[in-house]
Order: sequence, then structure tokens, then C-alpha cells
Amino acid sequence: MSDSETVIQTGKSSSKRNGFLTAISEMPVMVKLALFWLVFIVTAAIYAQIDLLLNQALPLQDPFHQPFLFGDASPVEGPSADHVLGTDILSRDNLSRLIHGAWVSLIVAVTVVAFGIVFGGFIGAFVGYVRGRSETVVMAGLDVVLAFPPLVLLLALVSIYKVRNLTLIALVFGVLSIPTYVRIARASTLGIASREFIQAAEAIGTKRRSILFREIIPNIMPALLAYALISAGFVIVIEGTLSYLGLSVQIPQPTWGNMINEGRRDIRRTILPIFWPGLFLTLTVVSLNMLGDWVQQRVAVRSSAL
Amino acid sequence: MGKILTVRLARLVATLFAVSLLTFLLVEQLPGDPVTALLPPEALHDLETIERIRAELQLDDPALVRYGRWVTDALQGDLGKSYITDQRVADAIRDRIPVTMELALLATVIAAVLAVPIGAFSAYREGGRFDRMMSGFTTAALSIPAFVAAIFFIWLFTLKFNWLPSTGWNRITDKGLLANLKTAILPASALALAPLAINARLIRADMIGTLKEDYVLSARAKGLRDRYILMRHALRPSALTAITVFGLQLGGLIGGTVVIETVFALPGLGTRLISGIYQRDVMMIQGITLFVATVYVVVNTAVDLLYLALDPRIRRQ
Repeated sequence: MSDSETVIQTGKSSSKRNGFLTAISEMPVMVKLALFWLVFIVTAAIYAQIDLLLNQALPLQDPFHQPFLFGDASPVEGPSADHVLGTDILSRDNLSRLIHGAWVSLIVAVTVVAFGIVFGGFIGAFVGYVRGRSETVVMAGLDVVLAFPPLVLLLALVSIYKVRNLTLIALVFGVLSIPTYVRIARASTLGIASREFIQAAEAIGTKRRSILFREIIPNIMPALLAYALISAGFVIVIEGTLSYLGLSVQIPQPTWGNMINEGRRDIRRTILPIFWPGLFLTLTVVSLNMLGDWVQQRVAVRSSAL
Repeated sequence: MGKILTVRLARLVATLFAVSLLTFLLVEQLPGDPVTALLPPEALHDLETIERIRAELQLDDPALVRYGRWVTDALQGDLGKSYITDQRVADAIRDRIPVTMELALLATVIAAVLAVPIGAFSAYREGGRFDRMMSGFTTAALSIPAFVAAIFFIWLFTLKFNWLPSTGWNRITDKGLLANLKTAILPASALALAPLAINARLIRADMIGTLKEDYVLSARAKGLRDRYILMRHALRPSALTAITVFGLQLGGLIGGTVVIETVFALPGLGTRLISGIYQRDVMMIQGITLFVATVYVVVNTAVDLLYLALDPRIRRQ
């Protein structure tokens, strides 16, 4: 197998670790930086959650503490030794809120990718291989969902719920991500299903079910995983947009989008409380896109050699 | 062609029907009785009044009956009346669609007009300094969320340079084109970033392929000027792909304006949808969602058909 597959299976099995390391060393510098940034964001988000579980025993500022309420600070301070990236309009620490906000983006992105690959990938592979009436029905259903501009459908959906917590938002995003994954999985399956190795498997009487799981699904995985990175970037933007509109996870839970929304009121005084979450959002999406493009190129090379 | 047209139109009608049903069912799930939103709190104990209003609005009919009524009215251009503001939904849409349409069209034009020279020149000097710079730019433009770019534009062009207003809208009919463009250019630019990047990449990739063709080589051999070859020989074959993509983007931008209108506080369809959501205004959310989805589907189908009509190779298949 070519390296691209080992790249994607980020060292799940230790025997493939070497392939993974080679793949990293072959990355262009920018893609390496992108990977580094993503690892940093994921680590930071998990660190912040552990900090919450330990009742903020770790060295990280309290993202909810508003010292100006006690006369200890004025709102919107510039960077200082205590607050490396300054404070926001309620004198809360920007850096800590950024790190806590990363958790929401991370959870939404992970849910979308998991739902997309598990449900979307399976449904797409199934209808693409079995064809017939199930395919017609499923694809027609998808057309209806995809007939809405994504943001508009999301807005109509989230407006239903009075209480919007992270679980709900992640589930809504996850379910809505399925259609596009189905399309990609189906398209890849159609390309593979007519190949010789599938015909060979059918000719020797392999059960259709095991062809689906052993031949088709493993072979559409690279395409799905390359798209997963791109779609993660896309939903992080959409979640940020919803948060900015105040329609995603409710405050005081910090998200990058609602930090921008809160900073917007004070834009005449300082851009800093907007600048940081804007930068984090953009850098994260740039990184996902660059890594996704890179994986996609390698997948393309691989499938042309198949 | 006639057969394709019939099939596509039948599919369009079926999709629109399903879209309307989904929209209705979605918003039906909104918690709370519209009547309670309608009445002042002290009137909520007055069960008789509540019953009377429920009957007036025919809220007690089964959902399917109400859907049937809603969709029949919608076909005649009547999307009902907001329970909250008493405004007719169709009037609200007619009021606000010019702003949204202008933003989406202006963004499409900006994206198309800038993308052609960027893409063409990047392809012409593939791997050169300009090409690498533009590849960096397109990556950034594709990744920065539109609302972040919009706020950054406001900060830069309004607060730092004081060139353009940050909020509000001048109607062409009231204040003339120039005053109108002053309020439209920032939101449209923020909206145009992502499609601009996609178009530039697309044209670049397409032209790199075209520039390797024999007829470009023979044009060079004839001694034609590079610029002439680029514009007349290389760009033309790319025009078809470009038109399709531009058209598809127009549909997408109608959804994308929602957040941009909110950032700039523009009196468009998007801000009305958002305020409807904040107020839990069932009729407004249903009406605007249905309208936007319909425009989106119709534009996409029209672009597909246009593509078929323009490209004889596909038409014959």
C-alpha cells in the first residue's frame, strides 16, 4: 500500500508508526506548520477540559472570572504579564477563553466527521453498491436536504430549541453533515464497484455483505478521510457563524464565535477581543484546508495507481 | 434536449414540494403556542379569548390541513401573516429582497471580474512569484469566515481610515447609485472573498491545461502576442466552466448574505430571518426559509440547464 493510507490512519496501530513518521517528514513546511497548529489547538482544548474537571487546579486563568466586578480591574485591558492576550469587555482573560472556546469547535468538528464517516460512509457505500430502488429513494431524500442553503437550514433547525447546549449543537451538525458524505461515498463506490477485484470477488461467490465491508468500504476510506479534514474546517466556520449570531451554544460557555460577537460592541475601543478569536478561527481553518488538500493529492495519486 | 428539460423540471417541482413540506414540519416543532406570543401576559388567563384567536387563526386544524392551506396560499404568492408583527410575510420579502439580491449579485460580479486576471496571470507564470502570492491569498480567502472578514473590513475602512460607512443602506432609488455602492461595497467584498478564491483557482487550473494544448503552441508559433493568446485562445474554453460555477455561487451567496447583513445591519432578507428567529415568529421563519430555498433550487436548476444549452458536447449525450 502506498503511504497515503498510513498517513491517514494516524498511527492507530504501532506497526504503521514508521510510515506515519515518514509521511510527516515528507510534508512541505507549510503543511507541517498546519499540523503543528492543529495538534496545539486539540491539546489546548483538552487541557482546558481537564482543568475544569480538576476545579481549575492547572495553571490556566478562569475563563469566567470577571475581576472588574470586584474593582480589581477595568474592562478590556491590553496584554500584560497576568493576561498575555489582554482581557475582554467583562475583564475576562482572552487567552483562557480562546482555549476553552476551542473545545466547542473541536467537539463539533469531531462529531461531524464521525457521523459523516460512519453513517454517511456506510449509507453511500451501500446504495452505491446495491443500487436499485434504495439508491433512488436515498438520493432523492438527500436532494431535498441539500436544496437548502446550509446556513439557512441550520438556522431554521436551531431556532426550534430553547436550550442549546453543546450536545444538541454537535448532534444537529452531525446529522446535517451526513448527506454530503453519502454523496462522496456513493460516487467513490460507483467508481470502485465496476473494478476487476470486485468482479473477481463476486465471481468466486463472496457474499455481497463481505464485499461491501471488506472490499468497498476500505477502498473509499481515503477519499472520505481527505474530505473529513475539509468538512471539519467548513463546520468550524458555520459553528462560528451561528455562535456569532447568538444561536449556537449558549453563553457564558465561551466559543470563538460568541467572543467575536461580544467584542463587536466594543470595536471602537479595541479590536483585540475580536482579533484573537478571528485569528484562531482562520488559522484553524487554513490548517485543516492545507492538510486536507495535501491528503487529497496523495489520495489522488494512490487511487490512480490502484 | 426536450426530454432532459422535462425530466429536470419535474424533478424541480418534486424537490420544491418536499422542501416546502420539510420547512413546514421543521418550524412546526417550535415550542410554545403562537397565541401566547401574540397576547399580552395579562390576557393569557382569558381562555375564551385564546380559544377565539386559535379559531380565527385556524390553529386547531390538523398539521396536514394547515400545511395544505399554507402551500396553496404560497403558490398564489401569499405566505401568510406574522403572528408577532402582523406584517404580511410576502410584503416583508418584497421589501427586503432588493438588498439581498444586490449584495449577492455584486459579490458574484466582484468575484468573477477579479478572478479572471488573477487566475489567468497565475497560470501564465505558473510557479512564479505572482502565482505563489496568489496561492497564499486564495488559501487565506477560502479559510477566513465571511463574518470575520466583514468585521475586519469595518475596523479597517471605517474606524481606521473612515472611508466608508460601517452600517446602514442607501437605496439606489432614494440616493443614487454612488451612495448605494458606498454602503454595498464592504458587505459585498466580504461576501465575495470565498467565491473569488474558488474562481481564481479554477480558472488557473483550467488555463494551465489549455496553455499546453497544440493550438496555443501554434498561436505562439504564428507570433501572436502573449496577452492576445491568453485572452482569445486560452480563456474562451474556460468560460463555460466559469459561467456554471458563477451561477452556482449566486445561489449559495443568497444564503451567505444572512450573516453579512447582520454584521452590517442591512435591511435585507437575512436580518429579517434572524429577527424572526429571535422573536420565534413562525410564519416569518417558514416564509423566508421557503423563499430562500426556492430561489436556491431554481437558480441551481437554471444554471444546470444553461450549461446544457451552452455545451453541445453534453447536449448530444
